This record gives sequence, C-alpha cells and structure tokens, in this order.
Amino acid sequence: MLNLGERSDPNVEVHKFYGGAVLAVCLLALVFQAFLHKYGRWSELIDLPLLVTIYFGVSRRNPVTGLFLGGTIGILQDALSHDNPIGMYGIAKTMVGYLASSIGGRIDTEHPLSRFGLVFCFFHFHQIVLAITQRVLLNHSAPLFTLRLFLDSLVTAAFAVPLFALLDRLRRPS
Amino acid sequence: MGPLSYGAENMIDTYSRHRPFALLAIVVVAQVLLLAFQIKGEHDVRLIRYWAVALVTPLERAGTWSFSKVGGAWGGYVGLRNARAENEHMRIELDQLRLRNRELESQAAEVARLGALLSFRNAHPEASMLPAQVIGSSADPTSHTLFINRGEHDRLRMNMGVVTPDGIVGKIVEVLPDTAQVLLINDKDSGVGALFSATRTHGVVRGSGDPEPRMDYVVNDEKVQPGDAIVTSGEDRIFPKDFPIGTVESCKPSNPFQTIRVQPSARLDRLEEVLVLLSQQEVVFKKQEAPAAASAPAKTAPANPSATPQ
Repeated sequence: MLNLGERSDPNVEVHKFYGGAVLAVCLLALVFQAFLHKYGRWSELIDLPLLVTIYFGVSRRNPVTGLFLGGTIGILQDALSHDNPIGMYGIAKTMVGYLASSIGGRIDTEHPLSRFGLVFCFFHFHQIVLAITQRVLLNHSAPLFTLRLFLDSLVTAAFAVPLFALLDRLRRPS
Repeated sequence: MGPLSYGAENMIDTYSRHRPFALLAIVVVAQVLLLAFQIKGEHDVRLIRYWAVALVTPLERAGTWSFSKVGGAWGGYVGLRNARAENEHMRIELDQLRLRNRELESQAAEVARLGALLSFRNAHPEASMLPAQVIGSSADPTSHTLFINRGEHDRLRMNMGVVTPDGIVGKIVEVLPDTAQVLLINDKDSGVGALFSATRTHGVVRGSGDPEPRMDYVVNDEKVQPGDAIVTSGEDRIFPKDFPIGTVESCKPSNPFQTIRVQPSARLDRLEEVLVLLSQQEVVFKKQEAPAAASAPAKTAPANPSATPQ
C-alpha cells in the first residue's frame, strides 16, 4: 500500500504481508502507546511506534516505503501527544524508517540477537535525532544519552525480539 | 547499444539510486517547515516567520545597498553634469550679490553721513545751513577746489562758508545756477582767521598747495605743541567763531614766525556731503566761557584783512 512504485533490489529478499496487516499493526501500535500511557509511566520504557517502524522498514527493504511509513507513524504519534509540535517524532521516525529499509537488505535481520542490536542502535539514533531537533527548534536541553535512556534502549530491544517474532506470523509465505 | 543510450541509462541509474535520499531530504525538510509553522521562538514569533525574515533580510539589505550605491553613483553623475552650469549660475549670482552688497554698504554709509549732517544741523538751529552733495573736484592737481550740487537757485552766494560736522571745509568762490565751486582751506589761495583753542593766540590758516595747510603769523615765543586745537576766530565773517579747523601736526621756529603745519579736522580728500552756511553774520556755535588766556593781550598779529579768505 505504501509502496510508491519503488522497486527494491531484486537480489534482496523482500517480505510481504497480508493485506491490511501493515496498516492494522501501525494503528494498533499507536493506540496501544496512547492507551498504555494512561496506566503508568512504565509504558514510556517502550516505544511501540518506533519498533513497528523498524520492523516494517527492515522487512520491506524499500527506503521510500520506509521513510513514508516512518514519517506517517511519527506524525500520527505527534498528533496523539498533547504538547508535541507536529513533526517532532515525524522527522526522527522518517530517518529511522529510511535507514532501517536501507540496511535491511545488507545485514541479517532475522536472528534475535541481530534484531536486539538493531533495535538498540535505532533507539539511540532515534533519540539523537529527536534531541537535536528539540535543541535546534524548540531550544530545549534534550539529552542525547543518559543512563535512563540506556536502560530504556535495553528494555525496548529486549521487548522487540518477541514482538518481531510475533509480527513475522503476519508475513505471507513466499 | 550506442554511447548515447548508454549515457542516458547511466543518468537514469544515478537518478534511481539517489531518488530515495532526495525523497528523504524532501520529507524531512517538509516536516521541519511544518514544525516551524507551529513553534514560536523569542518574542512570540513563529520560527517560519523568523527564518523567512532571516533569509530575506540579507537579500533586502543587499538590494537596498545596491540601489543606494547605484542611486548615489547616478546622482553623482547627474550632479557632476549639472555642477558646472550651477557653478556658473552661482558665480553670476554671487557677483550680483556682491555688487548689491556694495550698493547697500554705500547707501548705509551715505545715510550715516547724512544723519551726522542732520544731527549737526539740528544741534545748531540758530545757524542757517543748506546741505549739499559734492559732485566733482578740480581737474588741476594744484588747485584744491570742488563742486557742489547747489547754486544760485538755492540762494548760494560768494564767500559763503562750507563746513562738515568735523570742521570747516572752505568757502564758495564761484556760483552758477545749479552748482557752486568751493575753495578748500588747503588751497594756496585760501586763508582763514584762526586761533589756538587753549591760548587764544591768533593766526591765519593758509593753504600751501599740500594736503595740509599751515598756520602763519605765530611768533616764535608762543609755545605750540603738536596736537593743539585750532579753531576759527570768526573775524573773517565767513565762519562762525570757535569752529574746529584742525590740530597742530608739527611746528618749528622760523624767521620771523613759526612754521606750523595743520592737520584739518574735516577729511578734505573724502568729502561727499557738506553744509553751506547761508548766513554770513557771526554765529556763535560754541557757547563756552572764554579762558583766561583769551583775555590776555594777543602776542600774534591781529586779525587783518589778509586773514580773510581771498
């Protein structure tokens, strides 16, 4: 659906999903992120929209699809937050989607350890882009790296391994 | 496959390879602009407006600077073109103004002189005077005479005295219908009855042909100092008594009388307006107490006919 006619490298294996699966998963991730937020700050440990962006990025392996998917998810996440200007998460997730799609075909993204490391790195990349955007545009002193962020990245990466395995079930058999 | 189609394929390849990155840049920039629309910076100004102003202002400043420079250069060129004509015009105007200024200065000086004459005339209502303007002088350098713009029609007669507020000038020697000739006191044919204001010693002031007249008939025993005032004696019945003639400029003993050079009170070389004494009767201009020296017997020659203007 989000493939704008861009073709991936024919030598790279591209996973396809059941119809509406990408849309449904993205919406569920956004809803859960907003819904769980009401029940405690523990939900802040995991960024579900980020995980979905990374997963579909590395699965589809199409940079154009990845950047548009990440941008759309990020903008919707901004829209659902009460104080974020629209585009703050959008920029960060656009870049994450693009990078995830670009490197998805170059490295192994199926192994759990590989997925753990990938999510860990993208979490910090996402945070760095977010912090720079906030510093430059909002003039906020957003941290680039803290111990709390480090722990968050570990929790998110650990959570990503079973989540990605679950999402693998939505793939259409090739 | 020709080289042309190979090149085109290369271009398409390059385009396809960089298309995702270009799209990424476009999407990110679009979102940055979207953020800039929402975020307000300092002074509650939206970032997009701040950026727009920051982007446009240097261009506007450069444009303004360029226009001002070009305008200045053009103005300078046009100014230079007009400067010559304007300079010429201003030079002519300056000459006219200078001329006008001289005219006004001359008129102001004339007014001052006439004012002095009027004041003098008003101060002596007992004397009948007629103001006159000097219109010319003698062509003979040895003759010290001048012409005034009054004549027989103005009731002028021979031997009438001519004075200024500073002192005596001379007497009328020729009367024409509308003009009259005045013989100055420094002319060699002139003579005026005179006396020293302090000692009341009599003498006769005669012209010598030089600018300064001399005072004759003062004996060597008489003490005369440079600067001593000399006034009319009134014995010639032309000038009133005690009217200023001049001061002693220098004196030296001689045989049989002293040689005394007199500096006239009136500026005989710069006369423009004068007063003609219409009455030949004795008029006392200065009513002052006679000094003790005046009552003493005079040591000089008494007034004699030769003392009267000839």
